[in-house]
Amino acid sequence: MREDRSEYNSQPHPLTERVASADAARLAGRCGTPRRPTRPEAFATPSVDTGSRLLWRLLRQHVSLPQLAAFFMANLLGMFIVMLGCQCYRDVRPLFASDDGILQAQYVIIHKPVSSMSALGMGQTAAFSEEEIRQIEAQSFCRRVGRFSASQYDVYCRIAVKGMPAIGTEMFFESVPDGYIDTPPSDWKFDPSAPAIPIILPRSYLALYNFGFAQTRSLPKLSEGVVGMIELDVTLSGGGRQEKYSARVVGFSSRLNTILVPESFMQWSNERLGGVGEAPSPSRLILEVTNPADDSLVTYLNEQGYETENDQQDAGRAMYVVRLLVAVVVAVGVLICALSFYLLLLSIYLLVEKNTDKLHNLLLIGYSPARTARPYQLLSAGVCLGVWVLAAVLLILVRRYYMNLLWSMFPRLTEGSVWPVLLLGFMLLLAASILNAVVIRRRIIMIWKNKH
Amino acid sequence: MNTICLQHVLPVVFSGRTDIDSQVWRQELTLRRGEICLVEAGSGRGKTSLCSYLIGHRCDYEGRILFDERDIRTLSQGEWVDVRQHHLSSLFQELRLFPELTALENVEIKNTLTHYKPHREILQWFEQLDIADKAHVLVGRMSYGQQQRVALMRALAQPFDFLLADEPISHLDDANAQAMGQLMLRETRAQGAGLIVTSIGKHLDLPYDNHLVL
Repeated sequence: MREDRSEYNSQPHPLTERVASADAARLAGRCGTPRRPTRPEAFATPSVDTGSRLLWRLLRQHVSLPQLAAFFMANLLGMFIVMLGCQCYRDVRPLFASDDGILQAQYVIIHKPVSSMSALGMGQTAAFSEEEIRQIEAQSFCRRVGRFSASQYDVYCRIAVKGMPAIGTEMFFESVPDGYIDTPPSDWKFDPSAPAIPIILPRSYLALYNFGFAQTRSLPKLSEGVVGMIELDVTLSGGGRQEKYSARVVGFSSRLNTILVPESFMQWSNERLGGVGEAPSPSRLILEVTNPADDSLVTYLNEQGYETENDQQDAGRAMYVVRLLVAVVVAVGVLICALSFYLLLLSIYLLVEKNTDKLHNLLLIGYSPARTARPYQLLSAGVCLGVWVLAAVLLILVRRYYMNLLWSMFPRLTEGSVWPVLLLGFMLLLAASILNAVVIRRRIIMIWKNKH
Repeated sequence: MNTICLQHVLPVVFSGRTDIDSQVWRQELTLRRGEICLVEAGSGRGKTSLCSYLIGHRCDYEGRILFDERDIRTLSQGEWVDVRQHHLSSLFQELRLFPELTALENVEIKNTLTHYKPHREILQWFEQLDIADKAHVLVGRMSYGQQQRVALMRALAQPFDFLLADEPISHLDDANAQAMGQLMLRETRAQGAGLIVTSIGKHLDLPYDNHLVL
């Protein structure tokens, strides 16, 4: 290493002397490891806020208000459509929901028609063969098929309420696999050690009793709650045995047209009291379908000559249309939102591009990429927050208007909460802000790496 | 940071050349904290390249540069930020000031990052460098010589182990160059730091420990 010191070190420099007289002690320690001066006590520089303000004054150069306004309006429109679509769906859904909540709309119950020939015991049987069930399972609209199992013994039911003459009737039980009961009543289970049979009755049976039977015999009318409290005496007889059990009605269904017991009870009782032979083929099937209003489902049922309880499909069909409409509306909203986010992204990209020199200089004088990116990240987050607030206000106003309309048509409609949808909108905008923040950060890292 | 070592460093653009006669390029060289070093060369010899390598702006060189035994190619982004905020300050030849801000704001934008100097001391610098009346003028409207003084103040508004001044007085008269040298020396001594000054011919009148020809 060649060093030329001669000219500069031969005698003390006048500047050195001046400095030395001012701070001799520190100079004397020059060759050691000098102590770094601590931060002056009388530190009176403007606060950190001033720093952020200066940074913002510098980086807001080239911020395009028209571009931001365009994003704001486009995103507001998209966000409003998405939120309104979701909120409408939530508000309208109770109108279509099945009133018993026991079966979901995508279940379809099918059976074979009862013709005069089969009624006389001739011609086609009313039961489904294994081959037919396999065929149905293979259809594209069908998710799964459940079989109705019927009781293979006689059932006699007696109701005895104090002060009322006892009423008794022959009847039957059926069951479907538990997985098809959408929201089973809490006591929908059977325990062989303490046998008590839970039953779900068709709501129409109660109507038959209340408005037909009770009316003509001057008997008291029963509400669903009261029926639930009445204990039924059930006598099962079959296989040469007769057994008595107590039973209770635990729920009513408008859509299941049968007397339903849990499948576990059905298996247990059929083993105990049923005949030795094979279980008879089911005469009714419950299908879980992708869409109850599917063309292929309707066509298939028509071709095979199977029948469904038609009314149960109406709600499902209407719900399907509503769902489809909402999906289309929300998809349009999401598209507008996505495009507007893209606009914001491009706008900020352009901003970073135009301010590349400033950003680069900031990085070279010691600003970290994170700190340099922050003003733009805050700008994007702030604009998104503004969109959310305005979209939320608009949503609440518009919802108040349409809820009044709905209430005038369906006075019993209960009002749901608006918060889940507001939260959804917030999450969308949060996701967009985070995406923006990441993109901005990456651009600035590119500037750091001199790759701009 | 106590030393900067250059081990056989050569800009990639010079790599094919055999006629390099330099006290810096392709040499083993150690710059120490507390020393004042002048790097002198004509234009096109790579003064600004050297400064760019040291500040981490470019790395198109052969050989190795070490900060205290640590190869600077291995420094992470966070470490470079730390180096630029606390250990190595640079007075860029192209100044890299922000013309949209006033002279004082250009210094403050650095000082609010480092919280190093009291506001009144910065105002005193403006007086010492004879541009107190320009403190609130946009840098874009100042002469190049005045901008050089603003850039110096910004470079001094941080703690450092080495101050890198790339042709700091190219547009200054002797009196102003003298005032600038005085301030630079005082602040460097006060921090016990090293000073590396590059010059194209006209150089600051300082008590150099090292005089290298690039």
